[in-house]
Amino acid sequence: MRTRNLELIVGVFILAGLLALAVLAVRVSGLTATSTGSTYSVHAYFDNVAGLTPRAKVTMSGVTIGQVTAISFDKNRYSARVDLAIDSKVDTLPADSTASILTAGLLGEKYVGISVGGDDELLVDGSELYDTQSALVLEELIGRFLLNTVSKDD
Amino acid sequence: MNDASDYIVELKNITFRRGSRVIFDNVDIRIPRGKVTGIMGPSGCGKTTLLRLIGAQLRPDSGSIWVDGQNIPELGREQLFAARQHMGMLFQSGALFTDLDVFENVAFPLRVHTDLPEDMIRDIVLLKLEAVGLRGARALMPDELSGGMKRRVALARAIALDPALMMYDEPFVGQDPISMGVLVRLIRLLNDAMGLTSIVVSHDLAETASIADYLYVVGDGQVLGQGTPEELMNSDNPRIRQFMQGEPDGPVPFHYPAQNYVQDLMQTEKDA
Amino acid sequence: MSLVDRVVLLGRAGLDTLAALGRSGLFLVNVLFGRARFGNGWTLLVKQLHAVGVMSLAIIVVSGLFIGMVLALQGYNILVGYGSEQAVGQMVALTLLRELGPVVTALLFAGRAGSALTAEIGLMKATEQLSSMEMIGVDPLKYVIAPRLWAGFISMPLLAMVFCVVGIWGGAMVAVDWLGVYSGSYWSNMQNSVEFTEDVLNGLIKAVVFAFVVTWIAVFQGYDCEPTSEGISRATTRTVVYASLAVLGLDFILTALMF
Repeated sequence: MRTRNLELIVGVFILAGLLALAVLAVRVSGLTATSTGSTYSVHAYFDNVAGLTPRAKVTMSGVTIGQVTAISFDKNRYSARVDLAIDSKVDTLPADSTASILTAGLLGEKYVGISVGGDDELLVDGSELYDTQSALVLEELIGRFLLNTVSKDD
Repeated sequence: MNDASDYIVELKNITFRRGSRVIFDNVDIRIPRGKVTGIMGPSGCGKTTLLRLIGAQLRPDSGSIWVDGQNIPELGREQLFAARQHMGMLFQSGALFTDLDVFENVAFPLRVHTDLPEDMIRDIVLLKLEAVGLRGARALMPDELSGGMKRRVALARAIALDPALMMYDEPFVGQDPISMGVLVRLIRLLNDAMGLTSIVVSHDLAETASIADYLYVVGDGQVLGQGTPEELMNSDNPRIRQFMQGEPDGPVPFHYPAQNYVQDLMQTEKDA
Repeated sequence: MSLVDRVVLLGRAGLDTLAALGRSGLFLVNVLFGRARFGNGWTLLVKQLHAVGVMSLAIIVVSGLFIGMVLALQGYNILVGYGSEQAVGQMVALTLLRELGPVVTALLFAGRAGSALTAEIGLMKATEQLSSMEMIGVDPLKYVIAPRLWAGFISMPLLAMVFCVVGIWGGAMVAVDWLGVYSGSYWSNMQNSVEFTEDVLNGLIKAVVFAFVVTWIAVFQGYDCEPTSEGISRATTRTVVYASLAVLGLDFILTALMF
């Protein structure tokens, strides 16, 4: 009987540990079954990805619909190639949709935002997003602003 | 090996060192089968080491140890654990498992080495506890027992698997006269009733001499003498006589080896 | 003391350390890959899981709760200056999952369970229980050491997970219920920034590694100690010191490799 009680307590302990792991997975890291669901991949070329990293979010209307899988430099086009994995459920994106690199908040992380286009043709696995908007680089912005101010003064 | 049946344990040319200290120097000891053999000698002469050599908890630097036809130092781990099932050892402290009660302590060897059903284990355990007179104490924990009772429980545990060879490490140390008498009687009784061979390592002269059929006196890494208790009592070897009569000074000096006393004192003065 | 003597001392210390490392390695191999366990191995493991895991649960829960609460309080005071106090949830969760969860659990585990393991095994050695077990024909490595080692491996990662959850919950209590951070942003900021593989699994891997090292050190120190009361107390101290140092050192290496 003593062993049985002991086994019961130990069983509860192990269960508590596993439950904790489950809580961490679901409640804390927001892991859901859909996020590991099937995706299709598209790619886009940007002049400047400044600060975008793999596994950054891809959003549309502020809702996450996928993530960045790879970032590489294309030496023939002298621009950055970004591979995106888009949730298969979002399969109605027009081919001329725009991909832009945005910043969450003033100094937050970079992510890719997609704004919808008007083409009848849809994005499929392997297609390219032609319309892209590069990341805003704060130094360039300030530089341009200063230049404008100077030329106005003239 | 024509005398294999007469001697259960044979130590041949055993040399054992601990660091630079020689504990045994080319020693031969033979333990006759079915008898109680006493190994005696002054404290720190390696008596306990001898038992550990036989039980293969230590390995000799050279020489062979034959137990029932097997050379113990050459056995693999697996065979060794098998061979040990035929040996029982009673440790100085009793060495009961503190997290098990008396019954479970005695049942332990049976549980790990046999597949006997529970009621049979119970019968055997009660039988062994009855033999040492502690059947009534089966539900107690080891820390509720007196030193003498612990040793008796440990004895019951050691004989649980009916070993052929029992080794007693200083069984009489720190016992009151009554428990000492009980243990002396038990060792002799068990030896004769179960057909065991017993090795008693001790420096308690009277008790050991009273139960042993044969005695070895060891010291300085050598066997100083052997024979029946009567033979040794009447020995004219001065070292044996010193030990047997308990004289404080003699061939085994009272003083630990040191330089001249006067010189030593003068030196301290000079240094200070 | 001449220079040569010092070099000799250094050499001797080096050799002793190497010998101890070798012994502990052999010891581990013997425990893990020795001959088969006995039939009642499961019962032994359950007993040790109780002694090592369940008995450490109280200290883990209490310290996890307080550490989470302190993190939330400190984090709030700093973040509120930047007007981003909603990020307190993410800060608490990331700190706990990546660092404090595994590390503090391992340190507490070394103090609570590790020292107890060392003392217990050392005592069994000093009272000749291990020797007498050998003479009964039972390998103490299998019967005494292995269940304790496995119990440590299994229970410490579980404890670390419990620690993280309790800490995050404690953080929520302070931030949401007391300091008035909106509970929706506390949890959603956390969920947005915490990645399952990156943060939770890496933290779990850390906990597993620490569990391995702490338990190994604890049982080895017990088994290798000098069988006297003085030797046991020294071995217990060594367990806590070595295990803590090993955990902190390994934590740096693992963090450098992971993040």
